[in-house]
Amino acid sequence: MNWYQHPETADRLAAAYMLGTLQGPARRRFEGLLPQKRLLRLAVDDWTQRLTPLLTALAPVQPSRALWKAVAKRTAGQDGVNGEPLWRRFFSAIPAGALAIGVLVGVMAPALWNTQLSEGSDAQLPASYVGVLGTADGKPGLIVSSLRHGRSVDIKQIAPMVVPQGMRLYLWRIDAIGKTSPLGPLPTGKWVQMSLSEPAEKIFSQAVELAVSVESADETPQAPRLPFVYRGLCGKLWK
Amino acid sequence: MSTSAADTVEQLMGRIALRDHRAFKVLFDQTAGRLLAVASRVLQDRTQAEDVVQDVFVKLWNQGAQRTPTPPCTLAWLCVVTRNMAIDHLRMKRPETPLQWVDADGDEHLHDVADDAQHSPMEQLLAHEDGARLGSCLGRLEPEPRQAVLFAFYEGLSHIQIAQRMCKPLGTVKAWTRRSLLRLKGCMEACA
Repeated sequence: MNWYQHPETADRLAAAYMLGTLQGPARRRFEGLLPQKRLLRLAVDDWTQRLTPLLTALAPVQPSRALWKAVAKRTAGQDGVNGEPLWRRFFSAIPAGALAIGVLVGVMAPALWNTQLSEGSDAQLPASYVGVLGTADGKPGLIVSSLRHGRSVDIKQIAPMVVPQGMRLYLWRIDAIGKTSPLGPLPTGKWVQMSLSEPAEKIFSQAVELAVSVESADETPQAPRLPFVYRGLCGKLWK
Repeated sequence: MSTSAADTVEQLMGRIALRDHRAFKVLFDQTAGRLLAVASRVLQDRTQAEDVVQDVFVKLWNQGAQRTPTPPCTLAWLCVVTRNMAIDHLRMKRPETPLQWVDADGDEHLHDVADDAQHSPMEQLLAHEDGARLGSCLGRLEPEPRQAVLFAFYEGLSHIQIAQRMCKPLGTVKAWTRRSLLRLKGCMEACA
């Protein structure tokens, strides 16, 4: 058994790591293994919880006004909003491709409409929620659709994403105030179906956008920990 | 630290990864005071502490898109990141920081983690809801092993440096820190 599979050794090294006495090559080796070894991560998390009250219990110190100015100055012009015109600030949380994707909705929706009509219904398109998500470089990436009162989501990957081993794609809902809520992991494949814990109406009625991030496969995140790889508008496809 | 506060930091970091500068300002407003407290605690110098906090935020912004999923980004982790950067800063400046000095009035001072603040870490821990358990368990350690732990945690001193600082054998210091951590863990689990 390797040392990092031994709970007591992992705990002892995690303690030294958090305390700061694990130094030099040993520290670098430990940090290199952290992303891969769940046992080490859990041990570090435990020691973080134990020792960080030494830091979080400190009475806050009011920063000077110059501090934010200095931070803002150093981060300005790096895709941020400082000094940008108002119209650009308005869209600052939206990736470059989102506007294009908004236009794309108009193109894709009729296609979806036709597809569903051709599959048997000669009356009206069933009321559905549809999301058309773009990649970070603004290309169409993913189509998400669900019947209004359905309990599943159909997902088509237009631009498949290579997901590293130990990771998985995770679907998020973004509401009008920008709050993200987890919807669940996406099954692997170009055309997949994902079950919903509640009727689509309840889940998607508050959604303004949908997004997908890459998350660790052995965790159930409550907030995205990595940038979105797909993101786009979500709309109701009924009158 | 409440769970909701931790979740908020994670949510904001998710937005920052999308280059949302507004979320970045919210994160600054919510956490800069605490991070500055951490940096000030380590560095004992307000100007240098602000420099370190500035670097922390610039690093957060710049690495937003490349950040690995672990560890999760919580306020606690931001405090750890700040502590580590402050310690790095301290190590670069350490030759300028005497352990003993005499002030203009001729009074002799000794740099001492446990006593050099207006309120010691122990006092602040015991007064803080989330830190009371740790404070109580730290209080059960013998004074010298406790001081060794605090030297390591707040100043990033190695075992050798702690031994020099406290004029104790290296083996003694190693045993102190190892046993102290074990005792802290046992005590905190017993109090849970």
